[in-house]
Amino acid sequence: MNRRRKRQEAISAYLYLSPAMLIFLVFTIAPALFVLYISTFNWNFLNQSMSTFIGLQNYTHLLTSANFWHSLLITLYFVVGSVPIGVFGALLLAILLMKPFRGRGLLRLLFFIPYVTPIVATSIVWLWLFNPQFGLFNALLQLVHLPQIGWVQSERFAMPSVILYTLWHGIGFNVIIFMSGLTTIPSELGEAARMDGANAWQEFWHVTWPMLSPTTLFVVIINTVGALQAFTQFFTLTGGGPIDATTTTSFFLYQQAFVFYHTGYAAAMAVVLFAIIAVLTFVQLRLSRMRTFYQ
Amino acid sequence: MKKGLMAAPIALSTVALVVSGWGGVASTAFAAAHVKHAAAPVTITFAEAMSSGTQKTALAQLVKEFEKQHPNVTVSLMPEPSYGVLLTKEQAAVAAQNPPTIGQAYEDWAAEFAQAKAIVPLTPYVFGKGGLTAAQRKDFWPSIWKDQYLSDGQMWMFPFNKSDFVMYYNATRLKQLHLATPKTWTAFAKVSKAVTSSAKRDWALSIDPGNPTAAANGTYLWMAVLRSFGGHVVQKGKVAFNSPAGVRTMQYFQTLYNEGALKLGSNYPGQTALGAGRSVFDLSTVASYPYNVEAVGGKFNMQVAAMPSGPAGQGNIMQGTNIVLFAKSTPAQKQAGWMFMNFLAQPKQTAYWAEQTGYLPVRKSADALMTAYFKTHPYQKIAAESLQFARPQEPIPGLQQAIGYIGNAVTEVLSQHTPIKQALTQAASQAQEALGGQ
Repeated sequence: MNRRRKRQEAISAYLYLSPAMLIFLVFTIAPALFVLYISTFNWNFLNQSMSTFIGLQNYTHLLTSANFWHSLLITLYFVVGSVPIGVFGALLLAILLMKPFRGRGLLRLLFFIPYVTPIVATSIVWLWLFNPQFGLFNALLQLVHLPQIGWVQSERFAMPSVILYTLWHGIGFNVIIFMSGLTTIPSELGEAARMDGANAWQEFWHVTWPMLSPTTLFVVIINTVGALQAFTQFFTLTGGGPIDATTTTSFFLYQQAFVFYHTGYAAAMAVVLFAIIAVLTFVQLRLSRMRTFYQ
Repeated sequence: MKKGLMAAPIALSTVALVVSGWGGVASTAFAAAHVKHAAAPVTITFAEAMSSGTQKTALAQLVKEFEKQHPNVTVSLMPEPSYGVLLTKEQAAVAAQNPPTIGQAYEDWAAEFAQAKAIVPLTPYVFGKGGLTAAQRKDFWPSIWKDQYLSDGQMWMFPFNKSDFVMYYNATRLKQLHLATPKTWTAFAKVSKAVTSSAKRDWALSIDPGNPTAAANGTYLWMAVLRSFGGHVVQKGKVAFNSPAGVRTMQYFQTLYNEGALKLGSNYPGQTALGAGRSVFDLSTVASYPYNVEAVGGKFNMQVAAMPSGPAGQGNIMQGTNIVLFAKSTPAQKQAGWMFMNFLAQPKQTAYWAEQTGYLPVRKSADALMTAYFKTHPYQKIAAESLQFARPQEPIPGLQQAIGYIGNAVTEVLSQHTPIKQALTQAASQAQEALGGQ
């Protein structure tokens, strides 16, 4: 009887899951497998019968391509430039925004608003802010007698400009996550530390920070994966330029797939990018687990 | 991580696109070369991007007129918001083997479709029974007529909405400085230097050099100067913009930039700078006219002139699309499709289309029908006359994307001080690789 009931429950559970699983299978797993398949072809997307099987040639071409390695370096630049500031800046802001002060609610709202705005729309606004001749940023620099810069037009400043925009757009989300993490820390732990004579920094370092480690791990992973996949702001603000200065791997993949229609080659790149993200996430999880405190 | 496979759902999204927006025509019948105008009702679909403003209403009016003349044919328009979306939809429809009957296409799109056997040559329709007479064929502007052919010598396209480049300028400013409108690139450089003042923060011209993802006005301007200096973007099937003429072209741009007369930007920088009264010129297509008028907003007298010439003449670039006939339609649909594209290019219709939209008439005899219009819109006459010098881009699949590397070279030379030959050689090699595929 018990076994029969368990079986019925299992069947019901699978039935309830099946719509979501079907969607996941059709729109995620099947296309992913199809990408793997076409990565072994010189794929003619207009006339598939003209596609030719070339085995691993797309992969060898990719791994020997200077452009691909360049795009990986650019991606690394973006990840290193945006993730640490995005995570630790958000942590600092979250701590400040947890303190009681007048206008706190409004300030919290102001930090979160950019996150809910569409990237395309706000990127276009920022494109005007970055405009070397007519933009607000250069006007401000001129006001304080600093030399004007090319922002997204300059090979040197294009990536910092995109990072600046990305931080503005995304930091609100991290702040909210950290604030929710901070609210789950029992107040008595801090009280006990203070009674033992801990100052604010010691309380943060020895109590708050370790208790926030699961939240930090989550934010770091989400931000890293997001940075590795970032595309829209590059598409709108820089188009991968100038001179490939912002051609990340995601952007390079788009360019090969949808600009040059090197479909098989782009599919191979998608597979490699997937592997890179999977390995990085796994390593982050393993490393962080050793230093993460779960209640 | 799922998004790590962002290129993944090509086939599925293709199907989804087609299912969502491209139902309708479905046939696998082979097209006969000379199908008589069938009396039975036939519906054709036209994939187009003339989906807003006067373009939309003018096209709708032309369809109405055509259907009135051909009661058995129904033309179903399939409007898309931009050429980018149009290309995606056409490609998706072809991939799903459910294309429209006819569609707008640039030369390199047509070359790509022809290579995939997705469109049919128009030669049998144009030169066959019920086609055009020799006099009618001669009535097309030669550059436009030539534009309809691919490298195999067959006619694959039929002209529709064409435009070319003109020079917009701040006439008030030139008059104040007692400067004449430049007619050659040499004169243009002199005038540019004269109007540039770092103290007043004035300069001559802003351009978007473009990049491999998207060629821009600056890319086409560079190509126009290259042609007027006797150079070629592609020669004998090979990328050739790194020739001595290419070096000379880049030197020309470098001199303007070093003198402070030329600035690089993005997001229509020429129009913005001209409209703000900071630059004096904007070199852009005639289709930009209403946008430039709006940007200037009556602050000064903006005038239009023909593009300056070089030693090899005016190297104008032809813009705008043609129409192609997709292979999957029934013979009756193909015949009706041909009739419709032919109707659009007839003098009366092309004149109407030009007057309504600002595009250029594709036939010489249309000019006579537009005399009154040219009097009130002199810039259109200038652009129409420039058509004889305008050449389209070579119809090579992927060339539109490959020329974007010119933009990289321009940026490298002007702002990174990379030696000209080195930047051009690298750009040419990357463009060639992009054309070669994987």
